[in-house]
Amino acid sequence: MNKLFSYLVLLVILLSLTLAAHARGTNIEINTPAITKLKQSMQQRHGQLAPYYTSGAVGLTRDGMIAMRDANAVPLAQRQSVNALVAAENQDRNALYREIARANSHPEWEKDIRATFSQRWISLAKSGWWYQAANGSWTKK
Amino acid sequence: MLRSLLIGTFLVTMVLGYAVLAAPSHLSFIINDIHSPVFSAKKITANLSGGQLSQLKFHVGEIIIQGKIFRNVKFSCTKFQLAEHLIACADGSIHLPGFSTLAVAFRFIPHKKNLDIEIQSVAGESWRLALQWDVNSWWSVLSIAKGQVMHAVRWLPDIESMPIPAKGEVNGKVRLSGSMDGIARIAAAVHIDALAFSDRNGLRAGENVNMAIDFNAEHIQRNNKWQWQSEINWLAGEIFWQPLYFSGGGYNLNLAGVLSEKNIRLSNGKIASRDIGELDFSGLFARPDYDLVDFDLNATNLKLSTLFDQILKPFLRETAFSEMSVIGRSSFAWRYHQGVNQSLILDLHDVSLADQRDRFAFYRINAHIPWQMDGATIADISFLSGQVLRVPMGAVRVPLEINQFELRIPQLVVPVLDGKLKLENFIALQQDNNWRWQFHGELMPVSMKQLTRALQIQQMHGEISGVIPKVSYVNSTITLDGALLFNIFDGMVTAKNLKLVEPLGLVPHLTLDLAMKNIDLSLLTRTFSFGNMQGRIDMDMQNLELAGWRPVKFDAQLSSSAGSYPRRISQAAIQNISALGGASAVAAIQRSFLRFFEEFTYSKIGWQCSLRNNVCRMDGIEPASALEDFESQGYVIVKGGGIPAITVIGYNRNVGWQELINRLQRITQGNEPVIQ
Repeated sequence: MNKLFSYLVLLVILLSLTLAAHARGTNIEINTPAITKLKQSMQQRHGQLAPYYTSGAVGLTRDGMIAMRDANAVPLAQRQSVNALVAAENQDRNALYREIARANSHPEWEKDIRATFSQRWISLAKSGWWYQAANGSWTKK
Repeated sequence: MLRSLLIGTFLVTMVLGYAVLAAPSHLSFIINDIHSPVFSAKKITANLSGGQLSQLKFHVGEIIIQGKIFRNVKFSCTKFQLAEHLIACADGSIHLPGFSTLAVAFRFIPHKKNLDIEIQSVAGESWRLALQWDVNSWWSVLSIAKGQVMHAVRWLPDIESMPIPAKGEVNGKVRLSGSMDGIARIAAAVHIDALAFSDRNGLRAGENVNMAIDFNAEHIQRNNKWQWQSEINWLAGEIFWQPLYFSGGGYNLNLAGVLSEKNIRLSNGKIASRDIGELDFSGLFARPDYDLVDFDLNATNLKLSTLFDQILKPFLRETAFSEMSVIGRSSFAWRYHQGVNQSLILDLHDVSLADQRDRFAFYRINAHIPWQMDGATIADISFLSGQVLRVPMGAVRVPLEINQFELRIPQLVVPVLDGKLKLENFIALQQDNNWRWQFHGELMPVSMKQLTRALQIQQMHGEISGVIPKVSYVNSTITLDGALLFNIFDGMVTAKNLKLVEPLGLVPHLTLDLAMKNIDLSLLTRTFSFGNMQGRIDMDMQNLELAGWRPVKFDAQLSSSAGSYPRRISQAAIQNISALGGASAVAAIQRSFLRFFEEFTYSKIGWQCSLRNNVCRMDGIEPASALEDFESQGYVIVKGGGIPAITVIGYNRNVGWQELINRLQRITQGNEPVIQ
């Protein structure tokens, strides 16, 4: 049930991001095959990441990425695999921002798209998740 | 150290609590202040009382050791002996704020210059120091049994990235000896068991770590240097040192060297791993910042699978090599001198590597790659087979010329399926920490049948070949100047303006323009089980863009080729063309008429599709209104001509790309087409 809820939250976030991007007039076509593939990949990984968002081990950074925030919340033997999850998620996120900019025929918009996503990821994060404030400090939502 | 204790500035006030005529029953000492380079203390009082002054109470108001302040330190002893030849306490206890009360016993024999101190805790922990000295020298042995490492926490600096021990037990002996000028020899042999440590963020941490440490050092008086050697055996436990993780022990570290005021010289260093192999090293670090000046690292016959998985892979997480598996053996030698890389020699022995996403693989690589800062070298690299983006390659031997950060291959022939890719004047160089390369060459005929099978796409016939004027790689983008020529379905395909962005990234982007001439429709429709059509077509596909190998954009225009050739279309093909148009597509034929003919003739075929935003915007040869018999909303796909003639008109202008693909797959997989 929790997993289902997590997927639902992610879906809402992705939809909202799409709407938000449209709202700022970037005319983003969010559903190119490449973008769909990236979103599916992120959605599949979200179930694995959600417990680490909740425990505070992983937080949302101010640049639209995620980072290992407090490794103490993860058993020693799992810290490397969480690192790998974070790296894979960040690869997908980087590719997603780039693809949206490309799909919009404006690769140079990647930075703005990243900034929009960053704000929306944080505003739509669940209560108790950690995010990085503009000054770089970690804050619990 | 001893001398520094002794020469500290003392301000002592001693008050005799009881003026004695006979033996005193009470003695008090008060020391207001003690300063020394090692420690300082204030408000020290000592009280001796009881029969034969056998009860000692000692109190220090404040003691500062290495910047750490302890207040209200108490020591008491109920069996204190004070005599000319012996000062001893058999059952003392010391209380330091923040610590549990510890049992202390000491025995000092002045004429033998012998001091023995033992501190014990209730858990059986014992620290025993035996110290002896004469006029010029001293010797000490610290024996530790079940020593708890967390005692060290108070003495460590408070730094975020500094690993702090949380638990662990020390057993062993540390021997120190020296003169009044300081320590001359150190010999330590200790076991640390069940060690747990972590920095504040948990990025450098260990649990249940067992290790054995042997350390020996000797001070060389004449040039004021320390000569030392050590051996550390990591026996068990797990360690996470961002981003590396090790478990189970099996590592051995040997270090030897000389420490001077100016530098640390390492010699005979060796790291041995049960699962990887051995690395030998030596080097020189300049003090006080420990800058690396010289370093030599040699390793032979390392097991690459473990080396890659444990050491290298975590550093490649965000690259195309993050999902690679490697097997084989490797040797290397690195020389760094006077702050500059001098040489690196890498040898690979029967190495195979494969990307788990099938983006690339190379098998049975053998290589000798020498690199040096000054002068050119030639590397010899070979592999038995491989694949890049699923295109298989045969055995290759590369004569690679290396000149600092520039690589050259004058000529290389890579077997590709049944053809060859000939590379000439390959040059790669590093600029601004990025690699760029270029070559020109030729693709000698490769069978389309084999290529399509390798790419796991619809099998096609013909050949692909072409002259490649220039291929370059800059900023993660491969650009092909000139044209690639394909020979498929008895026609000619020209690929131009090819650009591939991030070829090994998550979403490679390919853009190119394709022009196909004189494609044999009969071969094409037979290949795709579409229903027979005879004739020839030209097809231009401009602005083709694939993202993640799936089309996102193109402007395609298909039309009958010029010239004289049979133009026939089967009933099945007509039905399939109609089915492609979807529910609203109408084949403008008389069903009753259709019953009597298997084949029809036509004069022209034409179809256009502009793909944007996943929608194919379609058009034909001309508007249907151009034909007298039809209304204006349609467009002509097949224009009839001859007897019996057939004309096919499409009415559906827009179709979702995925829907179109699904329909095509249904048709080519042999499903019965349905005329709507």
